[in-house]
Amino acid sequence: MARPSVSARLHDLERQRAQVLSHPLARGIAPDEVQRFLATLPDQRFPSLCYAARGATPLIQPRGGVPLFEDQLALTQALSSAGADFIPLTIDSYTRHNQYDTATQLLKRSEEEGRSYLNGYPLVSHGHELTRQLYVGLDKPVSLRHGTPDARLLVEVAIASGIVEIEGGGLCYCLPYSEGFPLDRCLLYWQYVDRVCALYSTPQRPVHRESFGPLSATLVPPAIAMAIEIVEALLAAEQGVASFAVSFGQTGSFIQDVATARVLRKLARHYLDEFGFGSVRLSLVYHQWMGQFPAQRERAAALIAGSALIAGVIDADKIVVKTVDEALGIPRPSVNAEAVDTVRYVLRTFSAAGAIDSPTIELEATLLESEVRSILGAIFALSGDVFWESVYRAFQLGYLDVPFSPHADNANKLVSMRDGNHSIRISDAGQVPISAADAATERRLLEARADRSDLTYRQMLADISLMV
Amino acid sequence: MTAGAPRRPRLVIGVIGDDIHVVGNRIMHLALEESGCQVFNLRTRNRPEHFCQAALETNADAVFVSSLNGEGEYWCADFRHRLTAMGMGQVLLYVGGNVVVGNRPEAEVEALFRGYGFDRVYHQRPDIGAAIVDLFEDLKNGTTQRIRATA
Repeated sequence: MARPSVSARLHDLERQRAQVLSHPLARGIAPDEVQRFLATLPDQRFPSLCYAARGATPLIQPRGGVPLFEDQLALTQALSSAGADFIPLTIDSYTRHNQYDTATQLLKRSEEEGRSYLNGYPLVSHGHELTRQLYVGLDKPVSLRHGTPDARLLVEVAIASGIVEIEGGGLCYCLPYSEGFPLDRCLLYWQYVDRVCALYSTPQRPVHRESFGPLSATLVPPAIAMAIEIVEALLAAEQGVASFAVSFGQTGSFIQDVATARVLRKLARHYLDEFGFGSVRLSLVYHQWMGQFPAQRERAAALIAGSALIAGVIDADKIVVKTVDEALGIPRPSVNAEAVDTVRYVLRTFSAAGAIDSPTIELEATLLESEVRSILGAIFALSGDVFWESVYRAFQLGYLDVPFSPHADNANKLVSMRDGNHSIRISDAGQVPISAADAATERRLLEARADRSDLTYRQMLADISLMV
Repeated sequence: MTAGAPRRPRLVIGVIGDDIHVVGNRIMHLALEESGCQVFNLRTRNRPEHFCQAALETNADAVFVSSLNGEGEYWCADFRHRLTAMGMGQVLLYVGGNVVVGNRPEAEVEALFRGYGFDRVYHQRPDIGAAIVDLFEDLKNGTTQRIRATA
């Protein structure tokens, strides 16, 4: 039995770190120099200070990454002028899979031919010295968005570039993003990332970590997403991370979004406190609809506005926004800037923060809280010398089962569908350890839906395409 | 299949190439199981030899190859040949998804894969229902390739 504990903190990082930093593309990163560089950045570059200072509405973050430095600079300036509160740096998929040579070759080709051969910014290929130049004079945080199972070098380069919000985690950046990366190795590599974030933190200005709750963004029951978010918060806290955001993706159900936000906030705080991490600053991030997007721009705009409204209702600390071109491909900077403006407009005009409640929301929150407690309780009870080993066991046993994960070792026993409120229900829990009573409630709510298709797969297709 | 045998149809399914689009694969798995088949799912990132070895191991009646990113055209050319070489030439062979890159007429795509030895081709058809109806028809009648060859 292994519960989260500060005794799991890595104390012998030096050898591994020297090896990571010996990569030619680390370009001689020296932690002492990076620490001095970080000290020169304004306070507003650090997410925890922005979260503490935010007003009544959520902070806004778009997504965006392009291969060429000049284009990324233009995108950064466009998003900043449009009123983005966080500036994204989205990484290309070759870099995400540690294929730095390919990323470097395709960067060169993109530069020569003036068209994009990469779907993001190849940060490791560009290096920290050049990337620092993207953010000279910027007074808002930069967020690293990727999907990298082994992000050790990438994160070293990111922090050396002045990027002090690092998204990801051993579960959330493996199960939705990788077919074959061994999960145990991924958990260990993310311990390294968490530890490096902690080492670069100062008490006033911590390097901030954020988990990625949407996962596969396809019928993921909120209890699964919340259990994974809380596990990753605990793993990060073990390594000394002092500022952490849990997140989740819009479920498609207003009721379930409100209930999920309430339970996630409450339980993340509860478990951090229980295991001695009461000083960790916690925030909540809401992702606009991450599933299949409508190709029709008017519908996409309506969806973006609707989810902005929900972000206000649940009083998210930050909302990550989509664009009207989501279904079509990577958006142009102007379209991205428009999305920021739309969300800002909705948050300002429909300022709705404050408690919202109904018996249905209450029932949903009670059910979700009970499920998350059951899953986490079962993980804490598993064998292992340290917590990450119990987490790995939980995955092997199918306790953590992410629907539509491409990962070869994901259990795929859990089956989920939508009920009459569009809430995501567990129709078969597989090996996920929720109580018999909760499983029965899930099925009862599902069966109450009047317009169900007789065929599971037809219903699932309809449920996946909900927003189209 | 031997007449009267209580055996459920045995199917190998999976996504070909370096494609990790898993949503359709999962839906297919559920749909085929729901229709009474025994499904051996290779999931994502498979080479032709993975499908053929699995067909041999499981004594499959049919193989469903999926491609969402269009890699299908590159990988599928010698599929029937491989199966025949291992004594599995009678296996039904289906392909579906976005099986080629770019916008090409459906008839052209179908002819291409028929030429590769596939029994049925479902290019850009979102519902697998029609394929399941065809499958049960073909299980009774045998491969459409052989019928055509002997006609």
